[in-house]
Amino acid sequence: MDAVRRSLLGQLARLSAGAALVPLSSLAPASLAQAGINQQPARREGDPSKRYGMLIDLRQCIGCQACTVSCHIENAAPLGQFRTTVSQYEVHHQESGELATFMLPRLCNHCENPPCVPVCPVEATYQQQDGIVVVDSDRCVGCAYCVNACPYDARFINERTQTADKCTFCAHRLEAGLLPACVESCVGGARIIGDMRNPDSQISRLINEHRDALMVLQPEKNTLPQVFYLGMDERFTTRPVAEPVALEVLAPHGQEMGYEFHH
Amino acid sequence: MAKSAQDPSRRRFLKGAAAAGGAATFAVGYADPLAKMAKGITGSAGEKPQHNIHGNSLTPEYRVDLATGELTLTPDQRVAFTICYGCTTQCGVRVRVDDTRGEVLRVAGNPYHPLSADDHLPMRTPVADALRSVSAYQEQGQVNRSTACARGNAMMSQITNPFRIDHCLKRVGERGSREWQKISFEQLIEEICEGGDLFGEGQVDGLRDIRDHDTLIDPDNPEYGPKANQLMVMEATDYGRSDLLKRFTLNAFATRNYGHHGAYCGLAFRMGSGAVMNNIVTNAHVKPDIQNARFIMYIGCAPSQAGNPFKRQGRLLAQARAAGTLEYVVVDPALNAATSHAADNNRWVPIRPGTDSAFAMALIQWLLDNHGYAKEFLELPGQAAAGAAGETTHSNATHLVIDTFEHPRRGYFLRASDLGFAEPGSDADLPVVVSGGDLALCEEVMTADLFAERPVELADGSTVTVKTSLALLRESANEYDLDTYAEHCGIPKATIIELAQRYASHGRKAAVNCHGGMMSGNGFYAAFSVQMLNLLAGNYNMKGGSAVGGGTYSGTGEGPRYDLANFPGKRGPKGVFLSRSRFPYEKSSEYQRKVATGENPYPAKAPWRSLAPPTLTEHLPSALDGYPYPIKAVIGCMANPIYGQAGLKGVIVDKLKDPKRLGLFVAIDGFINETNRYADYIVPDSVMYEVWGFAGSWKGTLGKLSTACWPVVEPRQQKTAEGEPVSMDSFFIAVAKRLGLPGFGDNAIPDADGNLHPLNRAEDYYLRAAANIAFQDEPLPEANAEDIAHGGITPLLPKLERTLKADERGRVAYLYARGGRFEEASEHFVGEHLKHQWKKTLCIYNEAVGTSIDTTNGLPNSGVPCHKLPQLANKQPMREVFSEQEWPLLAFSFKSNLMNSYAIGNERLRMIKPYNPVQMHRQDAERFGIQHGDTIRIESPGGSVVGLALVSESVVPGALGIEHGYGHKDLGATPHIIDGQAQPDMPWMRAGININDLGFQDPTREVGGTWLEPISGASVRQGLPVRVSRV
Repeated sequence: MDAVRRSLLGQLARLSAGAALVPLSSLAPASLAQAGINQQPARREGDPSKRYGMLIDLRQCIGCQACTVSCHIENAAPLGQFRTTVSQYEVHHQESGELATFMLPRLCNHCENPPCVPVCPVEATYQQQDGIVVVDSDRCVGCAYCVNACPYDARFINERTQTADKCTFCAHRLEAGLLPACVESCVGGARIIGDMRNPDSQISRLINEHRDALMVLQPEKNTLPQVFYLGMDERFTTRPVAEPVALEVLAPHGQEMGYEFHH
Repeated sequence: MAKSAQDPSRRRFLKGAAAAGGAATFAVGYADPLAKMAKGITGSAGEKPQHNIHGNSLTPEYRVDLATGELTLTPDQRVAFTICYGCTTQCGVRVRVDDTRGEVLRVAGNPYHPLSADDHLPMRTPVADALRSVSAYQEQGQVNRSTACARGNAMMSQITNPFRIDHCLKRVGERGSREWQKISFEQLIEEICEGGDLFGEGQVDGLRDIRDHDTLIDPDNPEYGPKANQLMVMEATDYGRSDLLKRFTLNAFATRNYGHHGAYCGLAFRMGSGAVMNNIVTNAHVKPDIQNARFIMYIGCAPSQAGNPFKRQGRLLAQARAAGTLEYVVVDPALNAATSHAADNNRWVPIRPGTDSAFAMALIQWLLDNHGYAKEFLELPGQAAAGAAGETTHSNATHLVIDTFEHPRRGYFLRASDLGFAEPGSDADLPVVVSGGDLALCEEVMTADLFAERPVELADGSTVTVKTSLALLRESANEYDLDTYAEHCGIPKATIIELAQRYASHGRKAAVNCHGGMMSGNGFYAAFSVQMLNLLAGNYNMKGGSAVGGGTYSGTGEGPRYDLANFPGKRGPKGVFLSRSRFPYEKSSEYQRKVATGENPYPAKAPWRSLAPPTLTEHLPSALDGYPYPIKAVIGCMANPIYGQAGLKGVIVDKLKDPKRLGLFVAIDGFINETNRYADYIVPDSVMYEVWGFAGSWKGTLGKLSTACWPVVEPRQQKTAEGEPVSMDSFFIAVAKRLGLPGFGDNAIPDADGNLHPLNRAEDYYLRAAANIAFQDEPLPEANAEDIAHGGITPLLPKLERTLKADERGRVAYLYARGGRFEEASEHFVGEHLKHQWKKTLCIYNEAVGTSIDTTNGLPNSGVPCHKLPQLANKQPMREVFSEQEWPLLAFSFKSNLMNSYAIGNERLRMIKPYNPVQMHRQDAERFGIQHGDTIRIESPGGSVVGLALVSESVVPGALGIEHGYGHKDLGATPHIIDGQAQPDMPWMRAGININDLGFQDPTREVGGTWLEPISGASVRQGLPVRVSRV
């Protein structure tokens, strides 16, 4: 018996629409950065004058996966492990009955209140003063507590280094005055990164312009995510509800045939 | 971001470990980390990454000071601009190279390049500024991006692909046995040129014997041409090097038989477009000006799912829907990435596969009945009237067509000569229109009647009925009523009317676009009818309408520095193509013989297509069946028709294996694919960023451009005795030199002064082509040292030095430092018109089509678009032969946004989508007892495959959607043995299914052939009859 436990690029969600947008209650002022939130260790390193965040304009996401692949190459992720992904959903519109495609790129939310940080037994994971949540692999013991604490499935244990791995907003590139791989390669121009403390930055201007329309994932968790979505369907803010595995299928003979790089 | 279920057996632990200090501070409950701590000195129990925070992330290629913008290059890294060959869009990219290891690190877009950049930079921009422009400095790189897509990012792994062929191979055992021995390049060239008993199977004619221009293939059919035509050369497509391949094929060896993938790609679309644009020779086509259009219907194409240019269309569509400037619909059998739930100005309209002509003709009917067309524009009878009206072009809507069936001039325009007013064929022999109630020449009046029909007495005394082109179109559109059209295409009549109304309401800022969806049984007329909607809107050359694009700066013609089109001893090929195209059957000896003996010449033994270009779909099966004539050798360059053409495998494989039907098969390729696995020899080729060449933009860019590539990393394959990499270029050069062919060797390339220059190495050709491009129009400036450093072309300099004249090097360096030559973005519009314009008379009625003969029945083809349900070669409806009862579903294919036909070896693409489940509608699944995720058998009249059912409503009922690019049997899917060593066995390389395995031999043909579209000879893959069952 063969079974699709997970379907194409995550789940094939079929939802009936009702597109009321919930005003983003959790959009924290950028100045919130302070040490010791939620018992996390003091923020350290990074540029204290900046607070990085990302805005993803879903109307401009074409689901091409250029971000997924360029990130994977730039950050040398093991095959089958991802710092960012794009899920593709089929959505049924309640009023018109029409079907359309919905793309949902995800990555670490670099939360203002990151639940992954305080659970680390060795203080290997911490938040920089610029808001970027990082992992010190010299300290990380690979216990995966942070992996489990993240409601966004944004972390994994890198199978090669045996340490927690995650999106760093390509901090090594930001430090060099370059853009993160995913932003640089975003074909539709959906991903906007920037310093939210700088009122003139593109992201600050977009946040101001679209404040009421922006949403974050799982706002009720009070993690204060700093990745904001424009063009979001409220029903998708509950994502992820499961691990985003591409395909997972059994062959007629019973062996798993779904996913080459399955972990 | 899958959470890792830790598998202890796979962990690697550090030896001699001791618990680090501080472990004791852990609270209870950290037993697992404590256990790990016991095994690792620091935290990590695995490989230590390069950096404690940045892990193994790549070292940035350069640094930009965010305060000052100062740019510092990273030692041992280089950014170079070249071409991505991940698909046929051929974007200009910037490639990061690690100079110490000669490796490509990552790929992004070239900011000078219109296919990759939002607003591409002017050429005059210093390269340092270009690098800065994609950085975070002043947020330039995200305000104006230049990107590579997922495949463009991933394709660099082709260079290190474990299945890459890096050595000349000769087959061991019979053809197709997947066993090879390595040989030297020199042995390979000798054997191919001189022939002999090469395989212990008897004498094989070498290329020297085959190149006979003095003896006819068949004296009874002299039009077939000389024996040299018994070499056939095929390539996948123009991967920047076609002009060198054609120099050898058409003008040095001078065989008539060259073919490429077009006929199993989008030829039906191209010819339908060419019919409207009055260009059935090169099949011109257009793309909508997305930035300025207000309403677009995408019919059988899906920007941002696929399409050419993939990135540019996807990006512009995304921007337009976010900005709210554009409303669009995607008319396609499957839901795909082109429609977005995140914006509300777009929608998917499901259509049955292969019925696009029903939809388009329904729209045409409504538009004609409801004045939903550009009346004033269509009433312009000629260029004089167009000029006076401030228009760029005109159509033949008002031109009168002779419509008396028995009359010898049936199907031709009524011309001045028909009325005795001009010499036939003279400049004055203009088409005639009705204006103010009288007949008039189209250039002599300012407006003419759109719907006229009357008898006219010709100068020879005969009387004929004439009708305007638009009247003929209306007749054709009225052949069915809207209800019937709706029933055929599965789109409700109300939706058709609503779309027609919307289309009409946006006037000349409404456009349609179509592409691979037209590869159906009525594909030519489907594309003709879809593109007719553009003409009815009068949107050609209009801002916000249909754009022909800017074309290319060609370097391989009679250029300002070198003449790469002509050379001493150049020959032109002569004779009939194997595919019997571009040659009227009525001029063949066969036809004449039949007529002379009183035999009905129709149907011809196999279709002759007087309008179609040479089609690879017919070449191989016809040659192997010896009609019109047999061949002796094939050279294939990356061509893979057995994977790409629906049903070809079943038709030709047994014949292809037979050395008596084909003596010699040489393949040039970096990989062994489904077709060249039957080769006798394989020549290893450069791949991706190792090649020379020039690409254009296929369409969709408004400016003129030429993209250049050069080996930004050293090719990894075998070298020739002279130390050049073995490649397509060195192969043709070596063969030509050994055979003493003109156009190659020491005195091959004339410069502007008539001096001859050598063609002994690839760069002898490509660098001179670059010089031609650099010196065209206003010559490019010379590169400075900064440009050279920032453009990563230092390794190119010795080659420029060795090859070019001193005054050429700097300008050519300027070109390569920027990855080509690109017209400025500010130059695209003139008022409300596009700068680059199509000037030929646009065709409501295409005279060439309307006077061509269908050789299966001797009847004329329709010169206006028409709707037909798909037919087989003998004109029987497909559904009469393959009934709906027996084959209830219609399979169709669509392009993947990740995988393509050559990309399966990219693990990073397989990682995202390892195979292609089959899209099936819920109703059909219920009908056949299939559930989401079931393994299903799909059978067609020609094959059977096993796939995985993806049950949803994202496909039209009655259809089965198959994403293209999977289901390989080679390219690594089956190990080959080379010098006794087996390639790795990687089952994932054969995952998924290929729709073309469901194609079939057309049972109504005498000469073997797959199901082909009648006018174009294009492979039919949209609407293959199939049935499904649960495995």
